[in-house]
Amino acid sequence: MEGMQEVLALFLSVDNFVAIGVGVLIGVVVGAIPGLTATMAVALALPFTFSLEPITAILLLVGIYKGGMYGGSITAILIHTPGSPASACTLLDGYPLTQQGKAGKALQMALYSSCIADLLSNLALILFASYLAKIALNFGPPEFFWLICFSLTIIVSVAGDSAIKGLIAASLGVIVSCIGMDMVYGSQRLTFDNFNLMDRVAFIPLLIGLFAVPEVIDFYLKKAAPHVRASNTGKGLTGGELKRSLKTIVRGSLIGVIIGAIPGTGATAASFISYSDAKRRSPNRANFGKGELDGVAAAESGNNGVAGATLIPLLSLGIPGDVITAIILGAFMIHGLTPGPVLFQENLTLVYALFCGIMLSSAVLLVVGRGVIRYFSLVADIPKEILLPIVLMFCVYGSFAVNNSLFDVGLMLLFGVVGYLFNRTGFATAPFLLGFILGPMFEDNLRRTLLIGHGDPMIFFRGPITWLFIVLTVLSLFFALRRYWLDRRQAAA
Amino acid sequence: MTDAPRSRWANPDVWLGAFWLLAALAFVLYLVPNHIDEAPMVENPMQSPRWLPSLAGWLIVALSLGLIADALTRPLSAAASETAGERSGAGRVLLMLIALGTYWLLLELLGAIATGILATLILFAAHPVRTVWLYGLAIALPWLVCLLFIHVLNVPLPSGTLWD
Repeated sequence: MEGMQEVLALFLSVDNFVAIGVGVLIGVVVGAIPGLTATMAVALALPFTFSLEPITAILLLVGIYKGGMYGGSITAILIHTPGSPASACTLLDGYPLTQQGKAGKALQMALYSSCIADLLSNLALILFASYLAKIALNFGPPEFFWLICFSLTIIVSVAGDSAIKGLIAASLGVIVSCIGMDMVYGSQRLTFDNFNLMDRVAFIPLLIGLFAVPEVIDFYLKKAAPHVRASNTGKGLTGGELKRSLKTIVRGSLIGVIIGAIPGTGATAASFISYSDAKRRSPNRANFGKGELDGVAAAESGNNGVAGATLIPLLSLGIPGDVITAIILGAFMIHGLTPGPVLFQENLTLVYALFCGIMLSSAVLLVVGRGVIRYFSLVADIPKEILLPIVLMFCVYGSFAVNNSLFDVGLMLLFGVVGYLFNRTGFATAPFLLGFILGPMFEDNLRRTLLIGHGDPMIFFRGPITWLFIVLTVLSLFFALRRYWLDRRQAAA
Repeated sequence: MTDAPRSRWANPDVWLGAFWLLAALAFVLYLVPNHIDEAPMVENPMQSPRWLPSLAGWLIVALSLGLIADALTRPLSAAASETAGERSGAGRVLLMLIALGTYWLLLELLGAIATGILATLILFAAHPVRTVWLYGLAIALPWLVCLLFIHVLNVPLPSGTLWD
C-alpha cells in the first residue's frame, strides 16, 4: 500500500500529464508530415529533457513515439503518402477508402485500432515483460532467418491481381536494397563509384517517391476535370463496423506485441504480417487493397502493437528493440538510470510510475487523435489541383531532410516515376517495398547463420522456434498460392 | 482463326515480360560481374556479396518467362485491353515536368522557399487554377512550410547559393 502511494505520488504530477499530452501531440503532427519520422522527433526532443525529472522526460519521449506511430497513418489515408515507414501498409486500404469518400471512417478506424493495439501492447509490457523477454532472447540468426522467410510469403497476398508481377516487383526491391557498400565485406555493390550510393538507397525518399509522387504525375497526365465539391470525409465509423473489426485488431495487436518484443524486427514488418493474416482470414479478402476497413484495422493494430512491446526488451533486459528505444535508452542513462533487471530492483517505484504513464498515453492518444482527425480530415476536401502541389513540396522537403542531400530529392523523383510506371503496368508497389525492407535482413541473417554454423546447414533447423517458423512459412506459402489459383479460376469462370 | 493468337501477342504483359527478361539478363550477366566486387575470401558462396543480387536477378528471369507464358496462354481480358482515361494536353504535362525539374535542378541554387514558390506556381498554372487569390497561397504556403522545417523542426533546408 505504501509502495502504491509512492508510485502515485511520483506519477500524479502536472508535469507528467503535460509531457504525455505534448509528446503525443508532437508525435502525431510530426508523424503526419512525410519525411519526418517519430525517430527524428524523439531525437530532436531528447536535449529538451535534460532539465526534466526522469519520469517526465521518459514519458515525453514515449508520448512522441506513440503519437508518431499513429500520425503516419493520417497522410497515408488522406494523400497516399505514408508519414512513416510503418504506415506504408495502411495506405493499401486507407487511400482507396478516401477515394470512395470514406476518409472519416478510415481515419477513425486507424485511430481506434491504434489505441486498442497500444493499450494491449502496454498491458503485455506490464504483465508479461519478463516472459516475453525470455522468448525474445532465444531469437538468434537462424530464428530471424526463418521469421523473415515467413514475412516474405506475405508478398503473394499484397501482390494485387498478379502474383508473378508481385514477385518480380519484390525481386526488384531486393536488388535496390543491395545497392551500396556491403556491410560485411566492404565490397561496393552497384554504386557505380557514386559516393551518394555507398550508404545504401535511403528509405524515406524511396517510400515517398513510390507512393506520393505517382499520384501527382497521374493527376497531371490526365485531362483536368472540374472539382466536384462534396464532403469527401463522409460519415464516421459506426459501432458495428468497429465491432466487426475487433477480432482483427486484437490479432494484429498480438502480432505487433510478439514482433515488437523481438529486438530489431520493427513495426513495418509487423503491420504487413498483420495485414496478410487479416486478409487470409477475412471473408471479404477480395476487397483488400480496394478499400477494406479491416485492412486499415489490421495494419494499424500491427504497427501500434509494436510500440509498447519494444519497451519490453528495453526495460527488462536493457536491449533497445529499435532506433527510438535506443534514444529512450539514452534518456534513461542521461538521468542516471540503467534499464534492465537492476532497474526493477533499485527503481521499482519509477518503473511502476512509468507503467502508469504509458497506460495513460493510450487514452491521451485517443483524445488527441480525435481532435486532430477533425482538422486533418479537411485535407480530403481540398481540390487536388491545390493539394497535390503542396504534397509535392512536402515530399521534396521531407526527402531533403533525411540526409540534407539533393541526391535524395532526385532519388525520390526517380522512384516516383518508377512507382507511376508500376501502377500503369499493373505492378503492385507494396511487394517492391517489402523486398526492399526484408532483403537486407534476409541476407544479414543468412550470413550470420552460416558463420555461426561454420557451414553446417543443420544450424537452420536447430530448435523449436526455427521449426515453428518453417511450418508457418510452408503453410503460409501453400495457402497463399492455393488461394491465388482459386481466385484466378474463379475470375476465369 | 488468326484473331486469337494476334490478341494474345497484343497483351502488353508479353512485352512487359520480354522487357524484364532482357533487363534481368543484362543485370545478372553484365552488372553483377562488373559492378559488384567479389569479396577476397568467402567461406560459402551464399555469403558472397554477389549471391543475393544474382538470386534476385535469376528469379526475375524465371518470373519474366512465367509472365510471358501466362500472358500467351490467357486471353486478353476486357479490363486489360481498356485504354487509359482521357489524356491531358502537352502543355499540362510539360509544365508538370518543368515543376519536377525545378525542384531537382534549382533547389540548391534558389533555395527551398523560392523553389517551392516557383514549382507550386507552375503546377497551379498547369491545371490551371483560375481563382487568382489562390496564387497567393502558392507563395505563402512554401514560405510557411519552410519556416516550419527550418525553425521548428531544425531541418536546414537550402537557403540558395544565388542569394549568398
